Amino acid sequence: MRAGRLIGRIVLAFAGFMAVFPLLWTALNALKNNVDIITRVPRLVFTPTLANISYIIGRDSVLTGLYNSIVACGSAVLIGVVLGLPAAYAVARYPNRWAGDIQFFVLSLRFLPPVAVAIPLMVIWLQVGLYDTLPALIITYSLLTISVIMWLAIPAFQAVPKEIEEAAFVDGYGAYSVFWRIALPVAARSLAGAVAFSFVLVWNEFLIALMLSSSNAKTLPIVASELSQQGMNVPWGILNASVVLLSLPPLLFLGVLSGFLNSVFRQKKT
Amino acid sequence: MARRTSLPVTFVVPTIAILLVLSMVPTLYAIVIALQNRELSTPDYSWVWLSNFVDLFLDRRFLNAVWVSVKWEIVTVVATMVVAIGLGVLMFEVASPRLRNVYCLLFIIPVLLPRVSAAFVWKFAYHPLYGIATYPYRLITGGLIFDPLSKPGTALFAVASVDVWQWGLFFAVIVLKLLETLPPQPIEAARLDHAKRWQIHAYVTLPMLKAPLISLMFVKMIESLRSFDLIYVMTRGGPGVATETLDMYAFSQGFIESGKVSYASAMAVLMMIATVITFTMLWKRAQA
Repeated sequence: MRAGRLIGRIVLAFAGFMAVFPLLWTALNALKNNVDIITRVPRLVFTPTLANISYIIGRDSVLTGLYNSIVACGSAVLIGVVLGLPAAYAVARYPNRWAGDIQFFVLSLRFLPPVAVAIPLMVIWLQVGLYDTLPALIITYSLLTISVIMWLAIPAFQAVPKEIEEAAFVDGYGAYSVFWRIALPVAARSLAGAVAFSFVLVWNEFLIALMLSSSNAKTLPIVASELSQQGMNVPWGILNASVVLLSLPPLLFLGVLSGFLNSVFRQKKT
Repeated sequence: MARRTSLPVTFVVPTIAILLVLSMVPTLYAIVIALQNRELSTPDYSWVWLSNFVDLFLDRRFLNAVWVSVKWEIVTVVATMVVAIGLGVLMFEVASPRLRNVYCLLFIIPVLLPRVSAAFVWKFAYHPLYGIATYPYRLITGGLIFDPLSKPGTALFAVASVDVWQWGLFFAVIVLKLLETLPPQPIEAARLDHAKRWQIHAYVTLPMLKAPLISLMFVKMIESLRSFDLIYVMTRGGPGVATETLDMYAFSQGFIESGKVSYASAMAVLMMIATVITFTMLWKRAQA
């Protein structure tokens, strides 16, 4: 049994190493000169350089991509919050005979293949004259954010103890102020997780952004992928630096999201 | 809480109306485009009704893409579940609570990465000459070259490994959390009956978790449909058509090679019908 446990520990440690090492290696490569990257034996010791990172940050296309990503994702998440949270609360607290159908409809939006949405939307935005603009991207992403926030916020609102809301009604609060002053603040932590999740989802989105933009509205993932289209002679350090820049924002939410995961499963326990 | 209030209507109706418009307009329009012969190069078009669909079934590259998509779906879903259950059970068995928290944090990192980033990270790692993942092979064989992304036999698995790296590790965390929610009594009882560790999990804990594990698999099946980013960055559907899934083929027909938007849309419509029917049936069965 002892040997089995030891092997188990080694396998786990290896998995943990595999989870982060490729990313750390990429971050390391972002600090290398090209000669230190193109080696048959990987180099751990090298003279670090900030040239790649400053090149990336100084490029107009990257800055525009960053700006577009922030505006498109930020606005879509905001729309998702404004429209998704109240709807989720109503489904959670005032269930009627359509509640099940509404939940299934919201989930089924996730079944739609992104190509099936992107192709017609491209034609539509071309005809309306909004192709390759941020508003088109924001509206398209709102479909994603609203549905995801709704789907995750329904259980979060259901987990708020009913007694608190009942007490507020007894104290003379109306239905709307119960939502604003009681349900929202009490569920805030889980809701933050849901909102963070929707942000990561649209930040990472690629296919729709690729099809709906040609020059002005390119988001950061598109810009980063284009850096590699110049073939393999592209300075690898620069590519690695752009991968690191692209990956940082979602990782900022690591804490919020793992807390969210914990709270979801703690609810199930009780 | 049966109070008379306008809240449910004012909160639900606008949101659902917007969602319906945002989803139904592109869906219906996809069908309309699929029945025409639009191309990106010219604004003229006419109605060709079902001829795009007829052409699709005579198109061997389309049939190949269907097969690749099915293979992708099976490989990624099965491998993800195996990795998730294996690592989840391992963490439950041999890791201390503090170590579990560390592993949970580490295992969530890959899935948070944009798929474009994950694809790049591994594309570098799989580079035959300078990659870190192919380095052990070069070391052992004394410098032989192994290029997993450009061999038809291995390319799909190399790309799938990135998907499993992202989702398998993440689901391992969820499997662990599910195991932690189980009551300890059945496990104790099995232990008193001298059941071995693996037997406890195979016959007691995992059967108890059957329902959540099936929903987990369902989620993975849906997410596996979104393979485009990985394949686009890592192989572009190549070598040849070895990793050309349906969305990759639709994209290249519609945008890269010929600009046949209608043809691409017909493909998208078929995908949409297949996935909506499959997942609706699976969901209703899981609910029943």
